[in-house]
Order: sequence, then structure tokens, then C-alpha cells
Amino acid sequence: MSNASLATKPEQPSSNVSTTEPPMRRRRGVNREGLEAGRRSTRTILWILLAAAMVLYGFPFLYLLFTSFKTPIDTIAVPPTILPREWTLENYTNALGRSGVVASFINSIQTAVISTVLSLVLAVPAAYGITRYKTPSGQVFIMAALVTRMVPPVAIGIPLASMMASVGLADTPIALSIAHTTISLPLSIWLMSSFFESVPRDLEEAATVDGCSRLGALWRVVIPVVSGGIAVTAIFAFLASWNEFLFALLMTAIRSQTTPVVIANFQTQFGLDWGSMTALAAVYSIPVILLTLLLQRKIVAGMTLGAVKG
Amino acid sequence: MSTRNTISKLVTLGGLCTAVALVATGCGAGGPAPSSGGSGGSSSINVLVEAGGHAELTGVAEQCKKDAGVDVNFVELPYDGMFNRLSSEFSSGNVSFDVAALDSVWLPSFKDAVQPIDELFTDDVKKDIFPALVKEANVDGHFIGMPAWTNAEIILYRKDLFEDAKNKSDFQAKYGYELAAPKTWKQYQDISAFFTKDGMYGTDVKGAVETEWLAHVLQAGSPMVLDKDNNVVIDNAAHKEALDFYVSLAKDAPSGAAQVDWAAAQNLFNQGKTAMTRFWAHAYRQIPADAPVAGKVGAAAMVGGSAGVAGVPGPWYLSVPKTTKNTDAAKKFIKCAYDYNDKGIESKLGLASRISAFQKYQDQPGYESFKPLIETLNAPATATRPATAKWQQIVDTVLIPLLQKAVAGGDTSALLADAKKQIQDLLK
Repeated sequence: MSNASLATKPEQPSSNVSTTEPPMRRRRGVNREGLEAGRRSTRTILWILLAAAMVLYGFPFLYLLFTSFKTPIDTIAVPPTILPREWTLENYTNALGRSGVVASFINSIQTAVISTVLSLVLAVPAAYGITRYKTPSGQVFIMAALVTRMVPPVAIGIPLASMMASVGLADTPIALSIAHTTISLPLSIWLMSSFFESVPRDLEEAATVDGCSRLGALWRVVIPVVSGGIAVTAIFAFLASWNEFLFALLMTAIRSQTTPVVIANFQTQFGLDWGSMTALAAVYSIPVILLTLLLQRKIVAGMTLGAVKG
Repeated sequence: MSTRNTISKLVTLGGLCTAVALVATGCGAGGPAPSSGGSGGSSSINVLVEAGGHAELTGVAEQCKKDAGVDVNFVELPYDGMFNRLSSEFSSGNVSFDVAALDSVWLPSFKDAVQPIDELFTDDVKKDIFPALVKEANVDGHFIGMPAWTNAEIILYRKDLFEDAKNKSDFQAKYGYELAAPKTWKQYQDISAFFTKDGMYGTDVKGAVETEWLAHVLQAGSPMVLDKDNNVVIDNAAHKEALDFYVSLAKDAPSGAAQVDWAAAQNLFNQGKTAMTRFWAHAYRQIPADAPVAGKVGAAAMVGGSAGVAGVPGPWYLSVPKTTKNTDAAKKFIKCAYDYNDKGIESKLGLASRISAFQKYQDQPGYESFKPLIETLNAPATATRPATAKWQQIVDTVLIPLLQKAVAGGDTSALLADAKKQIQDLLK
């Protein structure tokens, strides 16, 4: 191909495009269609990826749910089947009829609520102080809080259990709540710190100009602004306690045993009752799903809080 | 302002929830307060038990309340977490239970934390408990645990296949003797090979658990892994012979033997994929009613080697911690557990520890596994696992990897020699 032909080719109209249309407009039309097609294919790929991710995350739960409706022999079928061959509620009857299950639910709720409230009550002022005053000791404190997350829970579980026993709190939900707070508090402080960082100081200054004290500004202005963040933190703290197993295993007995330990009890050295275990696990996940749905708007607001920082 | 109102409402709600939760915390939701007897002790005790064994003791607890006035609260824990919980409480000296049901392999680890209960082991009691269990309960000259229930591996086989006329004649023609439940290693090998056809397997080979191979070691006439002086004997001829027999069955077993454990083997048998399995006796009564093999299973004593039939018992012992304040009530409960030992047989697990309790049920329909179990547990070569606190570590780090390599085709002599060295290092 000669240089001349290369130079003249863009000037020549295409034979299958109308010559009455201005060249620029034609190009824009082609580009728009191309862009639209590109967007469509990108969207399709994203949807496929999203669907794949949903299947990846959702399948284990769906499998658990389907297993909870299977007959005993179906639960151990070789090769395994996804859907029950015969649907039954027997596993739910067995699981919920087992002694101690209802009590364990109440204990789980008590423990998770106390632990969540404790975490928030401690994390909100701590995070506020750290972000607003930015003292060196505050920075050391927040790093130290992160370091506690690096200690394996088993390393502190046994001494913590002994300490609770020695202060007369053995086998109580409050002891377990305190233990769970040690897990959720560092994360709560870090989360709340990031949310407080995103609130402009001008808001507080305006409030103080209007006559608010610093605490008043925190309570009346800052807290409502970060309410989404508080919801997110509460959810994380609640989940950390709701699903926690090791401390519950080491620290609870008759009066405060939580449901994760009861679920684990379906696996014994003599066998594994898949049906009842999955039924109880499915029931146990309902409160968390409901809580997440109830606070969905707050969670989304909380997650985008940092994005509007001016 | 609506956000503020929402926040206020949430705070109020949270406060109320916390208040309610904190008030409720005083009593919890699981039951009565833990026992805390004074110097004279209390008639209410806490019994720590593995989840699978809870049902075994429920009937005993009811009877004990009637007879001895002892109220029993059970603390049920999963097997995997129970050792940690026991270790934690024994080491802190602050125990939350008055009686603990201990797996036999834990006895050496906790021997210094539990009380002797010699007075409960009368001559009559010793006569009615399987000899291997009496021996195991005695640690350093004192009885520290009363067997609550025991188990052992027996042979479960497909009675329908074994009684099929064509199978019987074909087997007779091929091997020259009658098809029946196997009594020897050779018969087990032959029958396994015979039934391995048309998508079915003669047996399973469990590479992920060690007890079955150890039972074969006893059948070959050697103590398991350690002799009575704690010398490591894992490389002797009996261990090699047992390992070679174990590995020889892999060709007639489903693939992936290295990963097959109890649950997998039980599933395979209950699904009708294997014609025989060497399995814990309780499994006979736990075959699901809707399983393809329900009503088609027979039970026989464990196979025998040159030393005859042998099995490894799997008992659980009731022990009293030294630090409990309710020693009297705890011992009363243990006595009840012995006196009403047969109550456990009516539970889902369906086991006991007294010979007379098993014998009481052995001829009743549904309990066909008891005669083979009694025969296996009473066999002279039957023995419990070595009494060393390092046993679980030996199993996890040496024996199971050894078996997994062996069933995958490893050189058994070299593997056993290597295992000996590793165990010697662990015991140093």
C-alpha cells in the first residue's frame, strides 16, 4: 500500500454510508453506537461477574438450606445432591426440640446485644477523641487497638476464662459479652474513626457558634451525621458476637451457652447429624439476615460516608 | 430532625435492650446456677459430657435423682473443644463441673487433676467390666474413672448379599469355602475381592483414622506402638504384617483411601457402596430407616489374626475433679451410672460398659451387634491404647500420616522405621 493511498483514504466516503449526512455527524453516530455497544458488553460482563460472585457466596448458604430439608439418607448421599429428593421438616423439629436450643438463642441474643452496646459505647467516644484531638497518644492508642486484633483469640481465651471465673462471672452472658467486646472493640474504633474523619469540622464549629457545647455538637450534629456508620459498626459488632465460637466454648456451660456451641454439638465422635445441624444453622442465620435488611439503608449510607468528604 | 429522632429512638431501644439483657444476665437462660456446694457439698452437680454421650447419661440422671436425691445438670460440649475446655479448667484449678466424662485417651493427661475412686471398684464391679477397661481405669495404682460406656470395632456386612444363593455358589466355586461373615484376615481379603464388581466395593480402607490398623496390630500379636515399658515397637513384624494386610485391601476399596475417615466409611456402607466395613458397633443401630441397606445388615466379631480376635475399645470414663466441692454427690452419681448402666442402651447411642448390661439386651431384636461386641471386647488380645499423655500427638503427627502414605503406595518398612524415630523423638 502506497503512502498516497494511506493519505487519501480517510477523505473518501464509504460506499455504504449516505452521502447526504455530514461527515462529523456520521462519525459521532458511529461512535455513539460503538460506545453504546461497548457499554452493553461491559454491563453484560459485569452482570455475569456479579451473578458468578453471588453464586459463589450464596451457594454454600443455599446448599445448607436445601440440606436442612433433606431426609437423613439424602444428607449423606454419595454423590451428593443439591435439591432434596424428598422434602421434610423433620430436621427442624429435631433441632428445635432438642433441649437447650431455645435457651441458647436467648443467650446468643443477650450476649450479642450487650457486646454491641458495649462496643459502641466505648468505640464512639474513643474514635471521636482520636480523630478530633489527633494527639500522639491517640495515634499510639489506635495502633495499639489494631495490634490486639493480631493476637490469636485462643491465646487470650483461656486466661480470660480463668479471670472471669475468679471474679465470679463464670458462665454468665455478661462475661461472654465482655470477651466478645475485646474482639469487636478494635474494629469498631477503627471504623468509627474513619466515619468521624469524613465529617467536616465546620459542622461542629457552626453548632458551637449557635451555642452548642462540644458534647452537644457531638450529640446533636455529628452523631446524626454518622448514624449510618454507627449502624455499620453495630452490625459488625453484633455479627462478631453472634457467630463467635471459641470464647463461647471456653466460657459457657449451663446458663449462658450460645447457639454456635449447640450447633457444633451435632457433630459428635460417633457421627454427624447433618440435617439437624443445617436446620439449626439456617434458623440461626435468620435474625442476622433480618437485621441486615432492616438496617440496609443505613449501611449503604454508612459505606458511602467517606465518599462525600469535601 | 427526623434523623435525630431516629437516633434517639435507636439509643432508647438499645438502652432498654441492654437493661433487659443485663437484668436477665443475672440468671441466664440455660438453667440453674452452677453448683457451689459448701463444705458439706451440694446435692446438685454439673456433669461435663461430650455431645454424643449426653443421651447415654440422661436415664441415669433421672434414676439418680430418685434414688440418691442428686440433681444433675449436663454441660454438653462438642468433642473437638472438650479437651481444650478440660485443660483450661484443670490448669486454672477453677472447675465448673463435678463430674467429667473423659475419653479414654485423655485419662493419662488428666490423671493428676482427678480423684481416685477406688472404693467404687469392688470385686463385683471389676468382674462385670471388660478386662481391658478395668486395666485402663487404673492409673498409677488408683482407679480414676468409671467406664460409662464403651465401643469397639466389629464387622458389619450386607446380609442380603452374603445370603444370596448365586453369590454363595459363585464364592464357593471360586474360593473353595462357604461365604459367611469373615473370621480371619484371609477371609476378609477374599470376600472383599469377591464383592468388588459392578460399581460396588468389598470393603473400605480408612487412611484418615488409626484405630482400625491398631486393632490389626493386636490381632497380629503385638502391643500397639509402645510396649509395657514404653519402648517404641512400631517397626516390629506384627506392625508390618498388619500394615501390609491393611494396605492390601485398598484395591477392593473406593479410591481416595487416604482421606477416608469414619464418617466417609459409614456413609459408603449406609449407601450400599461397600459390602463390608469394620466399624464401631454403635453404627449398627444408627443405620437410617430410609437407607438402601436398612434391614439388610449383619454383625460379626472383629476378624482375627495370628493372636486371634482383637479390637481397640473406645470407652468413656466418669471422673471426679480434685477441686470439686461436691465430691460426695459426684461419687453418688458415678455409682448410679454403674448401677443403672443399662439405661444408656435405650438411648440413641445405645451403649453401656457393663458386660451384664450388654448381655441383658443381646438376644433382643435390633441389638444383634451386642454379641459380636461382647466377643470382641472380651477377646484376650483386645487392649486399650497406650497410657501416654502424648498419645493424641503421636496419632495426629505420626500414625495418620504413616497410614496415608502407606495406602497411597508407600514402602511400609521404611514408613514404620521412620515412624519409630519420630515417636522416640516425641517421647523424649
